[in-house]
Amino acid sequence: MLIIKPKKEFEVCIEAELTPELAMKSVEEVRKFKVYYGNRVVELGELFEVVKEGEDKKLVLDGDFGRVKWIGTRMVDGEIVVKGNVGANCGAFMRGGRIVVEGNADDWLGIEMAGGEIIVKGNARNLVGCAYYGNAVGMTGGKIVIEGNAGNYIGEKMNGGEIVIKGNAGDFVGTEMRAGVIEIHGSCGFVGGDMRGGEIRIKGNFDLLPTFRKTEKGWVGDVNVKGEGVIKTF
Amino acid sequence: MLWIKNGIVVDPKNKINAEKMDIFVKNGKIVAESDVKKEDCKIIDASGKLVVAGGVDMHAHIAGSKINTGRTMRPEEMRVVRNIAGKFRATLGRVLLTAPAIGYEYAKMGYTTSFEAAQPPIGALHTHEELDSIPMIDKGALPVFGNWHLVFKCIEEKNLEKLKALVAWAIERTKGFGVKVVNPGGVEAWMYGGNVKSLDDQVPGFNVTPREIITWLIRANEELGLPHSVHLHCNNLGVPGNYQTTIESIKLANGFRNPKRQVLHVTHVQFNAYAGSSWRDAASGAAEIAKVVNSMDNVTIDMGAAIFGHATAMTGDAPFQFSLHKLIGARWSNKDTEVETGAGIVPIGYLPSNPVHSLQWAIGLELGLLVDSNKVVLTTDYPNGGPFTEYPYVMAMLMSKKMREGELKKVHQYVQKTTTLPSIDTEKTLYEVIHMTRSLPAKVLGLENKGHLGVGADADIAIYNLNPLETDFSNEFEKVYKSFKTAEYTIKGGEIITKNGELVKEVFGKTFWVDARKKVDLEVIMPDIKEYFNYYSVQLGNYGVEERWLKNPSRLEVV
Amino acid sequence: MQDIICTFCGSVCDDGEYDLEKRKVKKFCKLGSSKFAEKERIKAPMIDGKEVSYEEAIEKAVEILVNAKKPLLYGWASTANEAIRVGVILAEKLGGVYDQCASVCHAPGTLAMIEEGLPGATLGSVKNRADVVIFWGSNPMEAHPRHGTRYSISAKGLLVKDRKQRKIIVVDVRPTKTAKIADMFVQIKPGYDYAIISALRAIISGNADVVPNEVGGVPKEKLVELAEIMKKAKYGAIFYGLGVTQSRGRDRNIENAIKLVQLLNRTTRWVIWPMRGHYNVVGAGEVPAWEVGYQYAIDFSRGYARFSPAEFSAVEVLLRKDCDAALIVASDPVAHFPKMAVKHLKQIPVIQIDPFPNMTTLIAKVVIPSAVYGIEAEGTVYRMDCVPLRVKKILETNYWTDEKILEEILKRVEKLRG
Repeated sequence: MLIIKPKKEFEVCIEAELTPELAMKSVEEVRKFKVYYGNRVVELGELFEVVKEGEDKKLVLDGDFGRVKWIGTRMVDGEIVVKGNVGANCGAFMRGGRIVVEGNADDWLGIEMAGGEIIVKGNARNLVGCAYYGNAVGMTGGKIVIEGNAGNYIGEKMNGGEIVIKGNAGDFVGTEMRAGVIEIHGSCGFVGGDMRGGEIRIKGNFDLLPTFRKTEKGWVGDVNVKGEGVIKTF
Repeated sequence: MLWIKNGIVVDPKNKINAEKMDIFVKNGKIVAESDVKKEDCKIIDASGKLVVAGGVDMHAHIAGSKINTGRTMRPEEMRVVRNIAGKFRATLGRVLLTAPAIGYEYAKMGYTTSFEAAQPPIGALHTHEELDSIPMIDKGALPVFGNWHLVFKCIEEKNLEKLKALVAWAIERTKGFGVKVVNPGGVEAWMYGGNVKSLDDQVPGFNVTPREIITWLIRANEELGLPHSVHLHCNNLGVPGNYQTTIESIKLANGFRNPKRQVLHVTHVQFNAYAGSSWRDAASGAAEIAKVVNSMDNVTIDMGAAIFGHATAMTGDAPFQFSLHKLIGARWSNKDTEVETGAGIVPIGYLPSNPVHSLQWAIGLELGLLVDSNKVVLTTDYPNGGPFTEYPYVMAMLMSKKMREGELKKVHQYVQKTTTLPSIDTEKTLYEVIHMTRSLPAKVLGLENKGHLGVGADADIAIYNLNPLETDFSNEFEKVYKSFKTAEYTIKGGEIITKNGELVKEVFGKTFWVDARKKVDLEVIMPDIKEYFNYYSVQLGNYGVEERWLKNPSRLEVV
Repeated sequence: MQDIICTFCGSVCDDGEYDLEKRKVKKFCKLGSSKFAEKERIKAPMIDGKEVSYEEAIEKAVEILVNAKKPLLYGWASTANEAIRVGVILAEKLGGVYDQCASVCHAPGTLAMIEEGLPGATLGSVKNRADVVIFWGSNPMEAHPRHGTRYSISAKGLLVKDRKQRKIIVVDVRPTKTAKIADMFVQIKPGYDYAIISALRAIISGNADVVPNEVGGVPKEKLVELAEIMKKAKYGAIFYGLGVTQSRGRDRNIENAIKLVQLLNRTTRWVIWPMRGHYNVVGAGEVPAWEVGYQYAIDFSRGYARFSPAEFSAVEVLLRKDCDAALIVASDPVAHFPKMAVKHLKQIPVIQIDPFPNMTTLIAKVVIPSAVYGIEAEGTVYRMDCVPLRVKKILETNYWTDEKILEEILKRVEKLRG
């Protein structure tokens, strides 16, 4: 297990594609891991304290990582625990393993997630489990749980997997969704635009679009794409 | 001064077929040995290497509004990183490329000239801004005439003098190079939601037909004596059964003669070579078209070959682009342009497992193989058929039946019954393929100093790590493909710009444009133009591109 | 001088006449004329409020930019392409962020275009053919005063001869000046554009039965009426503005409208286009697109362009405190950006290049005054529909052009960086 702590307050954001794989390396190697500090390529050890405790495939990011982006990119196994906020693009293209964020997450959480688990104890921002700019398919597997609230654009173009938001969400939940499940315990805005399949469950209020048919299953649509997605309350 | 020593030169224009020869360069031109001081020459040892003129791409979509719309629409295309900024520019792009990427990639491959195939006249300045941002290559642009109301009006009046004056005026205003015609009449029909289906359909709102548009523009072009001929994107592109329209269009060249070159160039014929009546029974019409082209001595074509992988359909053929969007459900951009033309952009791809894509792939190659090598230019109608960086793939395929057999095993078997490709034994020679990529496109465009290595030619030279005297082109196709992908040296205007695929020096080429104003009396057409500008959204005084706005213009005057 | 081109709004009217004696422009609207009137200028280059030479100011600017880990280069919508191109290359060389004004205005249209494409036309096409024009969340009578007479409302076209042959519809949250001259006004509940467009798509594609009696404050009958008009149009045009791009829904609003237009094109002809604000905001996006692949929110930290509006739009960069220097060209972020973003801008060294003083000038460490394109300098700009126009030089000046200033900065940066 590696414990990584910021040494100082950062002047600009950092881009550090830290994954649990790093825990398999020696501390010297980890300190030499290249990260981007603005346009400077810098060694991890310059900006962060690194301590190794045991052989677990686990990273503990101890502190405010709210301006550290791309944590957990493409990870396949192991665990990352962020004892604070985490920056944008956390868990991007994740295939397995677990990320726990004890604080808040920034935009673009779990881009095109294919497997694994992300748990955010605080709030997430916009773009949770979505397809990246110009890509056709979003999340295909895995599970994202937000204990707090989330912003706009949740599970767009989803084709599998599960997203659970215990608080409220914004607009554009499950836009162009094909498969998978999104569950919102609070309220949200526009849901299921151009949805073709999959299921969205909402406990609180939401803005039903005028393109869904009421059936026993729930609201089925979006008729504009001859969709068979289901929106239901619980 | 440059001395390329002991290279094996293939220069079809000058009838040099794999001869060991020295090439001398001075002040950006190829010169005779007696014109250089050998002691002052930089020497390139080209022993055992192929030396040819830099490639000439006479039909590609490299600059202008629709190319930029394609980039903007497709961040997934732009995310591929080719070069990181340093001494040279960063370059990005998968098949669509940024402007610097276009220049660098052509150069790495040994190509030194490329022409933007379709320039919307009112957007000419945008096309030139983008051309000016492309490094390394010489360039030009072809403004489109086939749906321009002013053209329709001249033809309605059956006034050839007016049409000639209009063409000369338009090419000067757009700083263009020639007369491009895209789906004549069809794009105007699209403004009403339709298209034209035959050469004799009436264009809505005007008393003209596609047949008339093409023939009158050929007449005007030939009487003006422009360096390039009419360059035609036929009606019915992409429609099964369209090969007949293509043949009819090709035959419109009958009766016209030009001692220097063809009177009609038909472009990306692959997309216009389909037999059958729907996509269910579509087949190849390439053999029929090849027969007709081979029987005529005043028509040339270019292949428009399809390459498996990603591509982007972008043309001035707006109605076709919409029907493609409907067919495959892809994203679609459209740009109806004043009273001049239109455009459409749709992302596409070619998969070997798809029967239709395999058919398209096969047809492109059929055309390259069946048509006489002095009548067919190698292109992929970049980016419609695929990347220009895969021209070496097409080159290697044309020269090797074995390579084709291997590829045929990987594609959908639909091509076995619907094309003649499996049965074609032809293996074009290196001489022919170099002609199809250098001397022929230069001749078709009317660029006398391009595409060859004779004294007086521009010193645009490519040296490949390939010994033509010791290479078995039929069997060593992997090596052939690899060698042509990356030139050992690319020389532009006498300067080494790339070496082994690495950038050595960034240069900016010339933009050729044609000035035929001396051949006409502009006053014949100016009153009509002034009147029709009521229907434009800009002032006539603000229309057009002044030469001094271009970085490096090169004016070809027609006298 | 004839054929003067206006450099105020995206209409880029090019029929102006400049009276050299009276130093006044004729034919332009109030907004455009104001641009040509005498205005307060930044007198000379300054560092920390002290007047210096151009060379000194440029040296200081270079020092700040080269030492920054992440410089933000923002603005660009009110300058010419020649300058923008240098700016993009400079951002690439510096490894900084390039962003332009669209990120707070019409960027949603670009995002929508990425999702669906943009079925559009030039303004001349609309003038000649459009028998139905819808202004959605756009009020040209105030923001683009001559748009209607030149292109979209009373313009005299080839097939549509005048105002009487055109049906003008306004869809907006309140009756605007344009609504008052329209043939039909559809008032909608703020924030429901997305739902209303979905309803229109359903009605037009034969699923009207699913649509409830009221959507977004609009009765179903009105939506059915609107749908009928759209279906019956020979050539329709939707012009949309900040009413839809900067309110709830944003890029998804536009994306939905584009899908509506795609649907309509199956039976008739429709186009859609944004009513761009600044005279060359289109250029500020087109130039980087061909140079580096994207239109805005571009980061060059890794030595090549990366596009991420959520991270690299200027406001997002400032909110995350993700820049340590800024070069502001032809723009006024201090006046227009959210307070928290401006807070960070005040904490970093700012270089401003602009002809006119504005609120950003007050916080800038280095101020470099430039010539006004279209009056003191010639340059290429793109009208809102991407038609290129060459603005003219009418008056002489000693001010350097944005292009020249940026070129001098770039030259020195290249020397330092290699």
